[in-house]
Amino acid sequence: MASDETTSQPIRYYGQRDIWGLGQLREGWKSRELLYSFFLRDLLIRYRQVFVGVLWVLIQPLMSTLIFLALFFVLGANRTESGEVTSTWAYAPIILVGMLLWQMVNNSLRDATGSLVNYRHVITKIYFPRMLLPLSSLLCAVFDMLVGSVLILPVCFFSGVTIHWDTAILALVAALWLVVFCFGCILWLSALNAHYRDVGYALPFVLQIGMFVSPVVYGTEKIRDLLSPWALVVYESNPVAATISLARYGLFGNPLPSVLGLVTAFLVTLGLVVSGLAWFQRANQWIADRI
Amino acid sequence: MKPMDASHNTTIHVDRVSKRFRLGSGNEYSRLTEVIASNAKNWLSRNLLGAEAKVAFNKDGRADERFEGNDFWALRDVSFSIARGEVVGVVGHNGAGKSTLLKILSRIVTPTSGRVGVRGRVGSLLEVGTGFHPELTGRENIYLNGAILGLQRSEIKKRFEQIVEFAEIAPFLDTPVKRYSSGMTVRLGFSVAAHLQPDVLIIDEVLSVGDQAFQRKCMGKATELGSEGRTVLVVSHNLAAISNMCSRALLIDAGRLGLDGVPSQVIEKYLLSMNSMDGLVEWGEQEAPQSPMVRLRRVAVRGTVSETPTPQVDIDREIELAVEYDVLRDNAVNCVQIHLRDETGVFVFSSANAPSMNSGSDLTFGRPLQRGRYRSVCKIPANFLNDSRYVVSVFLGPEVGQPTIACDSVLSFVVHDTGAMRREYLGSWHGPVIRPRLDWSTESLG
Repeated sequence: MASDETTSQPIRYYGQRDIWGLGQLREGWKSRELLYSFFLRDLLIRYRQVFVGVLWVLIQPLMSTLIFLALFFVLGANRTESGEVTSTWAYAPIILVGMLLWQMVNNSLRDATGSLVNYRHVITKIYFPRMLLPLSSLLCAVFDMLVGSVLILPVCFFSGVTIHWDTAILALVAALWLVVFCFGCILWLSALNAHYRDVGYALPFVLQIGMFVSPVVYGTEKIRDLLSPWALVVYESNPVAATISLARYGLFGNPLPSVLGLVTAFLVTLGLVVSGLAWFQRANQWIADRI
Repeated sequence: MKPMDASHNTTIHVDRVSKRFRLGSGNEYSRLTEVIASNAKNWLSRNLLGAEAKVAFNKDGRADERFEGNDFWALRDVSFSIARGEVVGVVGHNGAGKSTLLKILSRIVTPTSGRVGVRGRVGSLLEVGTGFHPELTGRENIYLNGAILGLQRSEIKKRFEQIVEFAEIAPFLDTPVKRYSSGMTVRLGFSVAAHLQPDVLIIDEVLSVGDQAFQRKCMGKATELGSEGRTVLVVSHNLAAISNMCSRALLIDAGRLGLDGVPSQVIEKYLLSMNSMDGLVEWGEQEAPQSPMVRLRRVAVRGTVSETPTPQVDIDREIELAVEYDVLRDNAVNCVQIHLRDETGVFVFSSANAPSMNSGSDLTFGRPLQRGRYRSVCKIPANFLNDSRYVVSVFLGPEVGQPTIACDSVLSFVVHDTGAMRREYLGSWHGPVIRPRLDWSTESLG
């Protein structure tokens, strides 16, 4: 039975030139069951021996939202330029959306960067599409985000903010875009970390800075007046900033980033993914020797 | 080796494959700061300190051609192809490149040049418990491991019973793998790999972990896979196993394909290649393994009854290993170290003329020596080794563990069981690496 299959299969030569690394995507798709196994394993391990279990996924974004909300209240940031006082609670859904998206970026980059190194004992003993390891970390982060986003409805309800259902689909587009951006990042980071462990040490700082460089706990409207138009485009070319703004626009009608900003952010994302695939493919050649 | 083309029956096609590893730089550091530090150190040692480079020598005493500056050729220009249904054994000395070859075939490592083609799915078992996650249970790990090896979930489900039954772990299915014994882990690993029905199964030395009965079972399974039309590639130091289960064998010698033929021929050549016929290796002044400080001239073995060196030693006699070397500079410090392995590659012992490893006394250790010829003799007690072949490696250098001259597998000798140790027990002594005569006494306690 197997022999019939075998003769019909062509002989596959390893490592034939695949400069852009597109073969990896095909290969990754073929072994999607393995990706699912990795994903399931990551989830299982995360919630084994944990008392509150999956509730952590909800508690984390909720707590951080409340902390920043409290901070705003203390700082008196709930005044508009005209001096009229708005309810601090109105910020809650805005911060929550920023938090959910940001935690996806934060968790996927954090976990994916170490994923290859943590699995080096397997990588050096068996072959499978290595891309699946960082990808599984990404899936876990996406899973957390999706579960966490059920919080949006009750938080909106309690803070009296209405959701613009007609444009809500844009939030989904923004989230998807951000996932693609993270994919590009983790391709670079995970393989770089396999060679230079510094990457893993430097990342927490970069992420901390990234959280404040991106409009996670504030709205872009605050930045707009501070920056010159060109500086604003540079600011908006950060795909995290662009996607968070886009999601808030879709859900709550907050101001949209400039078209130029959106286009550059899109190009940045595209460049990151394309170069990430090519880099990961190259890294694949030496990864078992150097990890 | 001329390039070969893949015929329609070929499952594995290895076409002029070479693999180069970079030594020292390149794969030892992993931090940017260390890159900088190591570059600075290299520059310093090159320009200011004039440190001696470590030179490696092969058995013939010539500088090993596998080293090229900072590069090491683990494999060079290896070509062969294997047809469907063949069970092929791979033999070779430690470090000959066997494992690198298997890693290239399993796609873990990319060859520096040449190409490797495989038809169908490859399952490889290069280490015990690869892909097992200690926190997950046996059941969860079977699915995970099967998936890593390229199996769909439904296919694993179909073979689940067989896998569990073969591995004999049914009662422990829902126990985390971290609580398994190493024997159980090997059984499970082999069972998953073998029942996946890969078109090519690659096994590296893992079978040596299990017990005898399980090893036999594994060999049976490998032969069965071969007769089903699958291709099996096995690396083993267990020559008996290779000649029993394989239809063909490859000898990998210093990174090259030494011989490709029927197992008995290949094993014979392998044994010959590690055998110096007269228990003696000598080098001339030019060809000798040497560093600026010392030059290795002669390694010899003899049982104390014979006057001349001989590789055939009586189990009942003390064995003398003599290492002769020239000290090339006044006030050089030198230490002699030997490693003894058995013919399956098991490391039996390591010893040096340092006081802590010396039951006698060696006044030259750690002292500056005057120029001239020296002989260090190591005595291995009688009735200590088993009747088997042992392989000696010799290391010279200023400190223990820091050899500047390394001669791996420089000569071998055979200990013969002359019956001196067996008046009461006439059965097989196969298995133990050593067979020491120990102090026993029994007293009546009333």
